[in-house]
Amino acid sequence: MTRVTLAIVLSAVLFVALVPMFVEAHHSDVMFEEKKEITVQGVVKEFQFTNPHSWLLVDVTNKDGSVTTWGFEAEGPSTLMRNKVRRSDFTPGTKLTVTGRPMKDGRPAAAWSKAVREDGAEFFPRGRASETN
Amino acid sequence: MTGITRLTLLALVAIASATAVAQEQRQSPAEWRSMYELGLKHRTASDLYMALKSAAGGGKQSPLFAQLPDWSGLWIVAGGGSFFGPGPGGVSPKLTPTAAAILKQGSENEAKRIVYDENLSECGPPGFPRWLIIPFLREFIVRPEQTWLSSETVNNVRRIYTDGRSHPPVEDRYPLYYGDSIGFWDGQKLVIHTNQLMARSMGRSQPNQSEQMETVEVWNKIDARTIAADAWIYDPTLYLEPWYMNRRYSQVPNADKSLRMNYWHCGENPNNEVFKTPDGATQYRDFTFTGDDNRAKEQGR
Repeated sequence: MTRVTLAIVLSAVLFVALVPMFVEAHHSDVMFEEKKEITVQGVVKEFQFTNPHSWLLVDVTNKDGSVTTWGFEAEGPSTLMRNKVRRSDFTPGTKLTVTGRPMKDGRPAAAWSKAVREDGAEFFPRGRASETN
Repeated sequence: MTGITRLTLLALVAIASATAVAQEQRQSPAEWRSMYELGLKHRTASDLYMALKSAAGGGKQSPLFAQLPDWSGLWIVAGGGSFFGPGPGGVSPKLTPTAAAILKQGSENEAKRIVYDENLSECGPPGFPRWLIIPFLREFIVRPEQTWLSSETVNNVRRIYTDGRSHPPVEDRYPLYYGDSIGFWDGQKLVIHTNQLMARSMGRSQPNQSEQMETVEVWNKIDARTIAADAWIYDPTLYLEPWYMNRRYSQVPNADKSLRMNYWHCGENPNNEVFKTPDGATQYRDFTFTGDDNRAKEQGR
């Protein structure tokens, strides 16, 4: 093996060691906070059960009485169903508490991680231990 | 082919079968290395494919239905090797300087959270070989004359012809997202050769594959709920030596049959539209539920 080839090989080994786990979905999640979470209480406005991502829209009443619609992003229908989240679980008017990683730019949207309905039922749209499916 | 070579190939194919381990188990470093070295012994993917065919006594074309394995049900990717990460035992692919430089830059960008998917985020198909690692449901339709390896993501289907046909003549070839795949059956294993691939993205922050890429795969159901795919990737613009990876697919529990493969339209919900920011990261456009004018942000206003 020549020195040049050896250098290439060693460089390649070094570089690939730096490569993180690439999660293969429709888009990167860089628009969301990495570790920060928010939790809001509200009422389901609409559950958009769509590909490649679903959106749970929740109306949240602010302290001043105004209402902000928050969007909680999840994976598509088949992933939700595998995680035991059905469209009928969140019909409009359902009261719930929702948790997710908020967007960095301050818009009222988040990567949905958990929901607890008023009846106590818990839902984990990305699995209980953040699946990378 | 010499007797020793034939014996070696048979032994290595036997090792592939010996990967019949429980679903969550992975190849041992020794098993992985044997398969990796099988690729190194063959200069091209065609050479490897023909060697496997010879070792299988010519392989079987258009077998009877009763001779085919049961790959029914829904499947989901369950991990395994990657295109540029090390295999079991820590062996990494030997990359060309260009590919290594692109990968290094991509890694540095990822660390800064500068990531954009030129392909999936713009509703393009994953293509092959990225198809091997994408999430969401899969369904495998096995017939004597061809096998369909389908995935829910953008409704893609890989057609593997096992009726004895060859690849199209050279003068009729053109780049395809999933390439052209022919194969044969070696017992319950499906052996596939793919060429005619398109030069395009293999994934976020990774170098592009070239039209010179060709692959060989061996698909095998290794237990009731696991299908394993050995894949050898040849692309001289990326790899100084052929790369090998083993991917696993798990059967999805679906006792009540409620899960199904449905039509997938990437653009069905405007809330999923993203764009590439000036610094190269990913950002959502306007949301229907906020009324924000995010395009102003996109344009730097």
